[in-house]
Amino acid sequence: MRNSLKVAKWEIKRNLKNKTFLISLFVTPLLIVLFGLLGSLFGDDHSEKATVFVHDELGILTSMEAIVEQADLDLELQPTDINETDVEAELEESEDTAYMFVNETALTEGKIPVYTSNDFPNVGQLQILTQPIKSLQLQELGLTEEQMAAIAQNIDVQVQSLDDLQGDTVTEEQLAAGEDPLMKRVVPGIFAGIILLSIIFTGMMIFQSASQEKKDKIAEIILSSVTPNELMQGKIIGYFVLAMIQAAIILVFALGFALYKFNDFPLFEYLLQPQLLLFLLIAVLGYLLFASIFVGMGATMSDISTAGNFQGMIMMIPFISFFFIGPVLSDPTGALAKALTYIPFTSPTILLARLVRLDEWNWLEISISLLILVATIWLMMKLAGKIFKVGMLMYGKNATVGEIMKWLRT
Amino acid sequence: MNVLLSVEGLEKSFKDKKVLHGISFEVHSGEIMAILGPNGAGKSTTIRSIMGILMPDEGSVIFHNHKGKGIPRNKIGYLPEERGLYKDVRVMDILLYLAELKDYPLDKAKQRAMEYLKKLDLEGKEHVKMEELSKGMAQKVQFISSIIHEPELLILDEPFSGLDPVSQEVLKTEIRNLAKSGTAILLSSHQMNLVEEMCDRVFMIQRGHKVIYGTLEDVKKQYANFKCTIHGKNDISLLEKIPEVVRVEQTDDTSILYLTKDVEAPKWLKTLPDEIVINELTLDRVSLHEIFIDIATDKNLLKDSERQSLEEVGGTNA
Repeated sequence: MRNSLKVAKWEIKRNLKNKTFLISLFVTPLLIVLFGLLGSLFGDDHSEKATVFVHDELGILTSMEAIVEQADLDLELQPTDINETDVEAELEESEDTAYMFVNETALTEGKIPVYTSNDFPNVGQLQILTQPIKSLQLQELGLTEEQMAAIAQNIDVQVQSLDDLQGDTVTEEQLAAGEDPLMKRVVPGIFAGIILLSIIFTGMMIFQSASQEKKDKIAEIILSSVTPNELMQGKIIGYFVLAMIQAAIILVFALGFALYKFNDFPLFEYLLQPQLLLFLLIAVLGYLLFASIFVGMGATMSDISTAGNFQGMIMMIPFISFFFIGPVLSDPTGALAKALTYIPFTSPTILLARLVRLDEWNWLEISISLLILVATIWLMMKLAGKIFKVGMLMYGKNATVGEIMKWLRT
Repeated sequence: MNVLLSVEGLEKSFKDKKVLHGISFEVHSGEIMAILGPNGAGKSTTIRSIMGILMPDEGSVIFHNHKGKGIPRNKIGYLPEERGLYKDVRVMDILLYLAELKDYPLDKAKQRAMEYLKKLDLEGKEHVKMEELSKGMAQKVQFISSIIHEPELLILDEPFSGLDPVSQEVLKTEIRNLAKSGTAILLSSHQMNLVEEMCDRVFMIQRGHKVIYGTLEDVKKQYANFKCTIHGKNDISLLEKIPEVVRVEQTDDTSILYLTKDVEAPKWLKTLPDEIVINELTLDRVSLHEIFIDIATDKNLLKDSERQSLEEVGGTNA
């Protein structure tokens, strides 16, 4: 174990001094945040207010402004004396602008002429501005204040879902207080998911490291000091630490971004839940499984650029589960989701996704899945050790499937 | 001399092909022993078995009374034939890492690294990345990496390949110095002149079999016959009729006559016919290079009877 730790320490030190690794360490989270920001930059964000010029002959502009403020409309009202005939010329040179003519016709016929520029975004909100005219109409009919208030009141359809009846609906207050049970699973789930993805990607560097050591012909020198198993374990530990460093940096960026975007959201209260430990365990087990595959495969190749079909297919194994994420999330208790939970190569991702979606966890399913995963890790480490031992000393060519099988049988 | 390493009856097969057939030899403290053989003879497999990188099917490797996995690897230095170092790493970093893997104190390692970098004309290169060094310089760093931890046994597989003559001389001096200070050195090389110049004893392997084993002098005396070089225009058929001549090689006006074993050179000279034109004559024992070529190319050598006679050389000198 001492030698494994020496190898691990070396791999960490070597990579942390490597410019390419350092750049990717910070560029990856930056790219993630950048894509997040681009989404909001190019999304349908019409936070800028449109201007509505009101030609007010009825003296209701103040009431209309009150409605704009009350309903938090994206409109800015301004009085105007312009005539309807001049509107066209004005609009030709305007953006996000509307002209509204509130006059006797509007009161008697219930029709308000409105002229907008072509790109006017808030046509729907203009309808709300008609409320003061409605009040004026009611006044004309001689209704009392109380009658007018009753008529002016909206008639709402009050829908109650099963969750409402069972008291499961989360109010905004509960959400802000960190009491949403779904968020208590989703936030740690996303956190563990980022770690899992990060360690899978950084774990792929083990593969590169093993094949590079063969290419640079240093493997034999190292193996004269440590056993193949110690070298393999050292690489797995070393790249795990590097992956955690990468994950930590991604999370710092991601948390910073999340706090900036959702500043009222109690992120840490949702994150620091007991289930986070289980999610992290699943992520670490996933890493150990895939790392053993990567390190073994790396030893079968003379050069990373010469990866054959077989090696290429093996390298795809960790990503198979992502094809099933959609169906599993939409039906987390379905047969497919359950079956994939017991397949070790898909279980880390699928189990994580299911646990995030499910209100109640089936601990028997979780235990069986984890047991299968641990047993497979043990087996894969043994097999990877056999491949690594012979593969690292084979120079100049990629190992064939037949050769790998032969090494596994010895 | 102390026996530091003892290799006893190594057998190894890959798939169905047997590559080592009962290889046995010893290496003593303070000596330079050559392990020779043509490509594919089994040298690297023997060396890897000593290093514990490969496990032999039969036989044992004993180092300091330790066997197999119990052998302290940190007492052995190894420079493999297929070698290289991390390209993107600085010279001192890689040397310290390899010393650390051998459990050697880092402060001492740093001191020794500086000392050897200076000795091998690499002073000031400690912070240079390996990829910035020339091939020869990189090889010197690889050599330093194999001795940085003061090994008691140093195994060098083709240490001179790719080095210019000046660097070869520097390396030869260092290897000799290490032997003088008590380090046992097992040296594999195809450069027979260097082996002949440096080594005390020779072990030669051919197709996994031991074919020569003994001191250089005894091997040459017992295996290598005399050869007589005659400068002068002579008919080859006349030379072939001379008693005790086994083979004649002729180029232009020079003829080399290979004599039978056990011939007494002074007496034989008197038997040369008068009609032979002799402008100049030299009588030597054949070189190690010629012995090597003979063994490597002589397919019949591996016939049981001949192998037995060759092993007698080893037997008498071991």
